[in-house]
Amino acid sequence: MRVATPHMGNISIALNTAFRELGIGNIVPPPNTRRTLSLGVRYSPETVCLPFKVTLGNFIEALELGADTLVMPAGRGLCRFGYYAKLQEEILRELGYKFRMATVDLFGGKIFSVIRLFKDLSNASYLKVISVVRFGLAKLAAMDEVERVVHQVRAVEIKKGTASKLFKEALTAISEAEDYSSLKRIKANYLEKLREVPANHEANPIKVGVIGEFYVLLEPFVNMDIEVELGKLGVEVKRSIFVSEWTKFSLFLNFFGITEKEKLHKAAEPWLRRDVGGDGWETVGHKVLDADHCDGLIHLTPFTCMPETIAQNILPSIKNDVPLLTIVCDEQMGKAGMLTRLEAFVDLLKRRKARKEKYQKFQQGF
Amino acid sequence: MIRVGIPRALVYYQYYPMWKAFFEYLGAEVVVSEPTNKEVVASGSSRTVAETCLPTKVFCGHVLSLAEKCDYMFIPAIRSLQKDSYNCAKFLGLPDLVRAVVPESPPILDIDIDIPGGKRELYLNIYRLGRHFTPNPFKVRKAVKVALDAHQAYLNLMSTKKLMAPQAIEEIEGRANGRRENHGDLKVALIGHPYVIYDDYINHRLISRLESMRVSVLTPEMIPKEDLERYVIKLVGRHYWTYEDEVTGAGGYYIEHGIDGIIGVMPFGCGPDSLMMEVVKRYAKQAGNTPFMLLSIDEHTAEAGIITRLEAFVDMIRRGKRSEKG
Repeated sequence: MRVATPHMGNISIALNTAFRELGIGNIVPPPNTRRTLSLGVRYSPETVCLPFKVTLGNFIEALELGADTLVMPAGRGLCRFGYYAKLQEEILRELGYKFRMATVDLFGGKIFSVIRLFKDLSNASYLKVISVVRFGLAKLAAMDEVERVVHQVRAVEIKKGTASKLFKEALTAISEAEDYSSLKRIKANYLEKLREVPANHEANPIKVGVIGEFYVLLEPFVNMDIEVELGKLGVEVKRSIFVSEWTKFSLFLNFFGITEKEKLHKAAEPWLRRDVGGDGWETVGHKVLDADHCDGLIHLTPFTCMPETIAQNILPSIKNDVPLLTIVCDEQMGKAGMLTRLEAFVDLLKRRKARKEKYQKFQQGF
Repeated sequence: MIRVGIPRALVYYQYYPMWKAFFEYLGAEVVVSEPTNKEVVASGSSRTVAETCLPTKVFCGHVLSLAEKCDYMFIPAIRSLQKDSYNCAKFLGLPDLVRAVVPESPPILDIDIDIPGGKRELYLNIYRLGRHFTPNPFKVRKAVKVALDAHQAYLNLMSTKKLMAPQAIEEIEGRANGRRENHGDLKVALIGHPYVIYDDYINHRLISRLESMRVSVLTPEMIPKEDLERYVIKLVGRHYWTYEDEVTGAGGYYIEHGIDGIIGVMPFGCGPDSLMMEVVKRYAKQAGNTPFMLLSIDEHTAEAGIITRLEAFVDMIRRGKRSEKG
């Protein structure tokens, strides 16, 4: 069996490691490139959202390499996402590929659906599957922990790109870790290395919250490495979604009923009272809550994303004191255009912050 | 008398007779906005962000045009009408979206319609809505019954007399000027949501244009509900969207019931349609090679472009039929 799954930030790294550990033959699709995107765009309906197109491109490239089983999340997410697997399967069959589509209903089945998927694909016992899933989640948590520090270091490092390079190494090392103790060691090792990166510790970088839709936030190819680019501009990124946190309340039953998500929903309530699917409700909540600890917000959304369009319409009516830039990601997006907008936005934030500080000093002077 | 505003957009075409019966029984006056016009589209588009779908923009325009003329604006949030199927995000967040982009709107009567959520919750929601007009729960209950009867009569009128939604509404209100006879030599089905097919301004009088080309036009409402559901299951396995019937269900039904061609009408930016139309397109090709055309409309769509495409499509079908005979 040769299993393939689309690229989705660090999740696909963890998934592929899990396949390997369970002895499931897997094929890692080539990294996302312009070719992936144009293949996906060619065979997708015209106005479907970007994640559909990119993941379809991943599948085509994986099938070209000989994959015979495709893993795709499905189920009801109150947006088009749940419909993906069905239509992608039809499109790929029409192109003449022979394969099996294994869908995972994350919304209905939670963590059990993941366990069932691995069990279906491998001959391993439940015990083995559960331990691999648990280890996979631990790896995701480790990756996220390193990534948070990377976000901080990128903003202040003297030689730009050092942190990103270390992060790449860390991802490989973590995905290859064999057991909990080596995972812990690797994590500690890279955190130490990141701390030692020569940096300008006096600098008080501006903090920008990056909020919006799950896929475009987590997949660097579709958001054109926005985090790295912001880091180059000396900005500390505070991303709203980290996979390990997301799995916590999305995959597990929530016994206490109190989650980060509910806090966001409560904050959003005066402006948006209902769940609109996807991450729309959370986006509105972030705009309310992140105003206190961010100098600015960047809202990332795929073109025609339904929940985010609702959020985008509502965001300006939340009148709190934090500038917001919406960036719509699609296949037509050019890097230069995005960089110009980012630079202008960051300039604005820097000037705003300087003015604020000056005003505070002025007040203290009295 | 309290005036309740109902924008002539989105689900107006599906439920207007029901809502009207409900509010009038409770002693309110129902005010409906004028049919869509240039100003409605322009003002709606200027309030919302560019990526918003056309029907939502039109809806905001209608709300704006009604703002001065009523005391309450009725905007339901239709979440789900069937177990395990949900509505498009635009419907879920419609009252909140309008509140955000049209601040001058009078207080919004929003009600969550979530049928699988249970009867109790639904009745409580309806009672909460009725309380704006009467404190008497029995009167609200009676109003619900009157409204449901009106809705059933409306549905029957459409499926038995093969009327289109606007004609049926006219007939109910006693303004009908007789059923338009339709002598076409071609049968073409229009599939899409009622708020696109029947809004003559945004689709540039699609139906009358087709009829003037001697085409008899069939719409999703003319199919009995059971058949629609059967075809949805056949094409995609199960209902995913609340309004899946009128696209995949109707598409599947007409493809298998001897139609000469199908035109899918999709507003730009519509999420569910971008997938559902693709399903119908594929099915039309697989089962019997029915001609299928997808018309994507937005606020810029030029009339001439639509006419050219319609003429070409109809000519193509006619030529195909002629060569078959020959």
